Amino acid sequence: MGLHKKTSSASSTSPCADLRSAYHNCFNRWYSEKFVKGRWDKEECVSEWEKYRACLSEHLDDKHRPFLESEGVVQADTGNPIDDAYK
Amino acid sequence: MVKAYAQEHVYKHPWERVTAASWRKYVEPENRRSLSHILEVDTLNRRLDPVSGKLYTTRGLTVHAPGPWFLHKIVGQDICQCVESTVVDAKAQSMELTTRNISLQKFIEVEEKVRYDPHSDNPTEWTVCRQETSIRIKPLSALASMAEKIEQRCAETFMQNSAKGREVMERICKYLEADSPMMAPPL
Repeated sequence: MGLHKKTSSASSTSPCADLRSAYHNCFNRWYSEKFVKGRWDKEECVSEWEKYRACLSEHLDDKHRPFLESEGVVQADTGNPIDDAYK
Repeated sequence: MVKAYAQEHVYKHPWERVTAASWRKYVEPENRRSLSHILEVDTLNRRLDPVSGKLYTTRGLTVHAPGPWFLHKIVGQDICQCVESTVVDAKAQSMELTTRNISLQKFIEVEEKVRYDPHSDNPTEWTVCRQETSIRIKPLSALASMAEKIEQRCAETFMQNSAKGREVMERICKYLEADSPMMAPPL
């Protein structure tokens, strides 16, 4: 039983696994090559982030969303202000 | 009834590399086996302040909760959802991560704070990591009578996981060092 729960929850956002790695790879490169070297004036990986975020919003519904919303971590439909500014 | 402990570790790598390793720690598949208690990590929010050079990130962590089987039985599950908030100040060279559980809160509250700063003895080459963890069993929960034992047990598991985390960090720092263009001889 315990194992079953663990499995279902562990895979709850895995439909986004590919988009997640694409975003994290892009982020890690930007962080090492630009951000820590003083080039923090522009946010990058915006399209990767938007795709990943859209996938997450879709798949967070079932279990994660209620507690994340209650914490104010995920807002129902406000976009990321920084991302929007760079559109 | 709060159990708190602090740890400190010095990485013989510059701050830029160590904080880059910190971002990679949970998301790289090759670390999955060492850090098997971390089941899933998602970036939930991010914000860059392009003027001050501060990066704010929120991630959601699904963690295999530490503890013996009877604990899982009482609590009804063996996984725990946590939220990690990170602020990186690139100008001042500091990184601060705060992680706390947001599920199982009626039983237990765990808060972990980690800071990475350039080491005062060798600020361009070394980085000091300071970590503080507090564990609190809620006094009126079903676990209250066993609180001390559970807090102790949790603390032991956290210490073991921190040690594994440090090994992974050292490994990532090493390969980032090998990859680093700074190591290339000048033309």
